[in-house]
Amino acid sequence: MRRRAPEIFLGLGFAGIMTTLYLGLNWAPSVSIDAFESPAAQRIFYWHVPSAWAAFIAFGVLFFGSVLWFFKRSPLGWRLHVAGTEAGLACGLMAVWSGCVWGAAEWGTPWDWSDVRLNTFGLLTLLALFLVLGRQSQPDGVETRDTFSTFGLYGFVLVPLTYVATRIWQIRHPGPVIAAGDDGGSLQSSMALVLLIGALSFTVFIIGHMLISMRITHLEQRLEQAQKSLDGGN
Amino acid sequence: MAESMLSLVGLEVRRGMGVVLSDFNLEVASKDVVVLHGENGSGKSTVIESCARLLPLEKGSIQHHGALVVDAEGRRIIPTQPFGLTLQSNGLLGDETVENHLSTVCSLSGMKTDLLPMLESYGLAHRRHDRIGLLSGGQARKVAVLAGLLPAMLSSKPRLVFLDEPGTGLDKSALAALVSDIGQLREAGHAFVIASHHPELMKCATRLHDLKSESFQEQTPCQPWKANGVEEDARLLSTKVGHRYLRSTRAGLARNGLTALLVLGTLLAFVDPLSIENTALLVGFVFAAPFAAGLAGDPVVHLMRESRAVDWWRAHVNRIPNADFFAPVLGFIFTTLGCLLLLDAFNWKLSLIGAGILWATLTCVRFIELSTLRLARPNAVFIRLLLPILILPWALIVDFAATL
Repeated sequence: MRRRAPEIFLGLGFAGIMTTLYLGLNWAPSVSIDAFESPAAQRIFYWHVPSAWAAFIAFGVLFFGSVLWFFKRSPLGWRLHVAGTEAGLACGLMAVWSGCVWGAAEWGTPWDWSDVRLNTFGLLTLLALFLVLGRQSQPDGVETRDTFSTFGLYGFVLVPLTYVATRIWQIRHPGPVIAAGDDGGSLQSSMALVLLIGALSFTVFIIGHMLISMRITHLEQRLEQAQKSLDGGN
Repeated sequence: MAESMLSLVGLEVRRGMGVVLSDFNLEVASKDVVVLHGENGSGKSTVIESCARLLPLEKGSIQHHGALVVDAEGRRIIPTQPFGLTLQSNGLLGDETVENHLSTVCSLSGMKTDLLPMLESYGLAHRRHDRIGLLSGGQARKVAVLAGLLPAMLSSKPRLVFLDEPGTGLDKSALAALVSDIGQLREAGHAFVIASHHPELMKCATRLHDLKSESFQEQTPCQPWKANGVEEDARLLSTKVGHRYLRSTRAGLARNGLTALLVLGTLLAFVDPLSIENTALLVGFVFAAPFAAGLAGDPVVHLMRESRAVDWWRAHVNRIPNADFFAPVLGFIFTTLGCLLLLDAFNWKLSLIGAGILWATLTCVRFIELSTLRLARPNAVFIRLLLPILILPWALIVDFAATL
């Protein structure tokens, strides 16, 4: 059962995400036609917000893994770094893509280079892409791990910056939805419920994704060790 | 007891996934010639590169002349005394002339000298005005070896010299000159750490070290080397050398200047400035050229990727040669050009901001690029994926400049 945990998490998360999509597109109420240019496009938020939430969790894991590797030389830390990077890239791309779709419908432009929230989140996703592609281009070693962990450590500065961006410097991106404090009270309960299901589903999915990623990294390391033994090394 | 010039205490260094050096200790005193002759992969180059501050330490510390230069806490301090270094890769820039490179080495030691006698002894006198890129592999190696010896040759004070496989590629006469120079410099009080399997070089060792144990050898005394350097003021050396690289290669114009020109030309091909009333948009077009030129990166760093020249410089100074002088000048020129073509007026405030944009962008790109140098394949990483981080600050500056 424990060995199957990653697949179970992935399956449950996937089912939850499908449920969120169904509820978001068919069951959740429409928003006021006065408040939005394109009210129907707003339904993509049920995908956009939970995926951004999951991306933040993944970036948190990436940071934690980077700290563990950089300061403790922990192999588990490196596996967490790799898992966080890959999951962060997947969820980051989902959030960016869905945001662009909504932006094109609502603002008339998919991207705004002067909006802080858009740019910092986009950069986090680019950082994850850089780390994934960079890791694939280098032989595994302490030099590779140190360098990419450093980028993981510094890159995490963007996470709190992205989080507070719409609070202190709102240009285009709407204000906070999750953990909004007093401002979040206007959300209808049925909308909040769908968002909650979405956030939970993406969280479960991302945990499964990271567990599988860590298992793959572990197997890659064992394979490399075995190859070195065949080469006659230690 | 002779003065301790180099002290390696409890060194642990990792390369790849393996620990290359573990609890390694070494004390080198004046008049020591330590030849490291372990098997391939035993860590000879790792010792040399650690001593030159090029590798981070997992444990332990290294001192030059009793002062800490690198430790496991991440401290990396410029040695108080200059030292000689020849890396396994030559660390030479192909566009430099032999004489210019060796003069720079002298300046790094705060000295100058007549290089001709030394060039003659290595058979390089007739090649002194040639670019290093035109030399044969063996001749380039001679230049690299001579560059490693120079700090000791110039100074009457004892200096440390690190030579990694100095005998590789040298002909018989150059090897004889090297062995003779090592003997004379040793007699003058300088200390050597040499990684080599070459029998001739092993013969001139006072200590043979295989990284596990060491044995001692007696050397017959010879005539000590007579120092021939004169002190020289070498302030702003990195900026001066960077400027010289750019002047001799035109790399700044080819890389950054052309980028700016292409951006400006493309904009002019598609945009009629008279039809645009939005000032912010026009100012954005004006600043696009210096911004793009900055994104092209530091041309000096790009040049120095050749045969580990960046590493050779990083070992000696914390601030490597750069285009810090060239960047604002180019930024000023292209912003002025953009103002005249797109705004139909010269605005000195915009020109100064443009100069600042190019310099700041180029500095950020250099910082990001240098942070990946430790990787096994630094050119293979997609470092430019991180450059969009500069777009938002640029857009904010454009917004501000539009109000001027």
